[in-house]
Amino acid sequence: MMFLSIRQLMARKKQSLLILLGITIGSAAYVAISGMMLGFQSYMLEQLVNNEAHIRISAREEVLTSEEMASYPGAAHVFWQIPPSGRKDSTRIEYPLGWFNKLDADKDVAAYSPQVVAQVIYTQNKITRVGRIIGSQYERQMKVTNIENYMKSGSFKDMGNSGNRIIMGTKLMELMGTRLNETILISTGNGLPQAFKIVGSFETGIKTIDEGTSFISLADAQKLRGTPSEITDVAVKLFDPDLAKNKAESWKTNARDKVLSWQESSAAILSVFKTQDIVRNSMTVSIIIVAGFGIYNILSILVNQKRRDIAILRSMGFSPKDIVRLFFNQGMMLGILGGAIGLILGFIICNIMSHIEVVPGRMSGPGNLMIISFSPIIYIKAFGIAVITAIVSSIIPARAGGKLEPMEIIRSGGQ
Amino acid sequence: MIEVKNIIKRFPNTPAPVLTGINLTIEDGEFVSLVGKSGSGKSTLLYIMSTLDNPTEGEVFYDRKTLHDFKPEEIYQLRNRNIGFVFQFHYLLAELTAIENVLLPARKANEVEQRRKFALELIKTVGLEGKEHRYPGELSGGEQQRLAIARALVMEPKYLFADEPTGNLDSGNGMIIMELFKKFNREKGTTIIYVTHDVDFAAIARRKITLVDGMIQTLTS
Repeated sequence: MMFLSIRQLMARKKQSLLILLGITIGSAAYVAISGMMLGFQSYMLEQLVNNEAHIRISAREEVLTSEEMASYPGAAHVFWQIPPSGRKDSTRIEYPLGWFNKLDADKDVAAYSPQVVAQVIYTQNKITRVGRIIGSQYERQMKVTNIENYMKSGSFKDMGNSGNRIIMGTKLMELMGTRLNETILISTGNGLPQAFKIVGSFETGIKTIDEGTSFISLADAQKLRGTPSEITDVAVKLFDPDLAKNKAESWKTNARDKVLSWQESSAAILSVFKTQDIVRNSMTVSIIIVAGFGIYNILSILVNQKRRDIAILRSMGFSPKDIVRLFFNQGMMLGILGGAIGLILGFIICNIMSHIEVVPGRMSGPGNLMIISFSPIIYIKAFGIAVITAIVSSIIPARAGGKLEPMEIIRSGGQ
Repeated sequence: MIEVKNIIKRFPNTPAPVLTGINLTIEDGEFVSLVGKSGSGKSTLLYIMSTLDNPTEGEVFYDRKTLHDFKPEEIYQLRNRNIGFVFQFHYLLAELTAIENVLLPARKANEVEQRRKFALELIKTVGLEGKEHRYPGELSGGEQQRLAIARALVMEPKYLFADEPTGNLDSGNGMIIMELFKKFNREKGTTIIYVTHDVDFAAIARRKITLVDGMIQTLTS
């Protein structure tokens, strides 16, 4: 019946082209919108997953209680006029070795990096700014994150394992008015500020990191904080980032410290992605529904117009199934052709968009170009949606055509 | 051979049956006309004999096998291989050329290429040589009906049923159609059964069956 289906489609060029256009626009819109949104999402995810730890183990901020005071040795002989209370002045991982042993033994763990994370005050001449320093061993840190990829000047290795050398976010350097090889003062609020030489800069594209974070060696961070041999965090990288949530849950059991997966710490961003997905899918479904109704309408009208043809075909021995195929094929051809053209059009649009320069930091990737996803899944889905729409909207009129009996048509004079 | 036994046909919401107790045998190679006034049941009988309609009661036999015993697929094959239809309105497919219309039944049987030569011969026989690639809209009414006959004969059917094939044509074109029927009956042995209310065309048949109020009144040879 394919021959006849094609001839009938070709005989109604204008109608067929309009429906084809509807499906094409629907598929192209899905590809373009998905390419744009998923490109942005995948870039953001990559930043979230690879710039930060997959799982972060950090010291719990603890508050002293009267029960805790009573548990100290000799507490029975001490009488407080005003008992100590409030938050402990230093947060630390109480038993890091236990974590290290656990992480070494876990086959899902790719690498981990002990860290000291602290709030600091940056001072440069009269400019001061509050930010964060991450003290780490550069070899371990480079295994946990891909920070080296985002270095704008110098190498992450230049930080060394001591010697007061600092690697700063480019935006933070701009805000502080400093340059490479200059010195900046850093203080934790306790004790005197210490001078650090800027040996490198990085830019991740995430404003909060680039404007407030610096890296120094673990030993320097411990010295700055006045807590030698203590660590506050362990950043963990897994072989499979998707395991992070379940792994963190299992580690939380009986752990004194906080264990947070990247999914939990980025929950707000991930929920934005979900909203984007809903908007994207709703828009596409709306376009496709319009195209689907187009196919349905055209085929319904066609079945009515072709009642005589159905009668003569049935009298020649064509079966009801053949008649269903005659009309169904037409819907399918529109779906497949429209879907395929839509994919090509969508790809071209995505390709053009991927060369558009945008405002740095806003949906921009390396080179300030728009980040577009060319994932095959998008194209498979777009094509699938087009074909499924065609199937659903063709089957009802096609089956109606198949149910027509030749005598009904002949008795009604073929009308 | 087609046998019709005790056929009764009633339509919903119609008090009297359209056909009442019809018994009829048509031997292979016969040339039969069905005549009668409008509403006498001649077209209904033709469609029941040709498998397109079902009787309310009674049976139709093809070579002594009742149609009740035919599976749907066997009925479709019977129509495709052994039966040709010509309707009052030609019912050609507007999107197909003359040759494509003629070859439609062959397309169902997957025999397009095998039957192409024969289809071209048929087109020549019905006087449409040189118009093979014209669309129905480019042909006159008489030419369209002749083309419909060629289409009905392309599978070399045993039976050709025609429902008022000349009803929409002038007498000249009507006569051409009847001459074609005679030719195929004579040369190919095709059994031809046609409905007409034209006395002259009815007389061309070797056997005339007259229906009055759903009953066979006369069988004349």
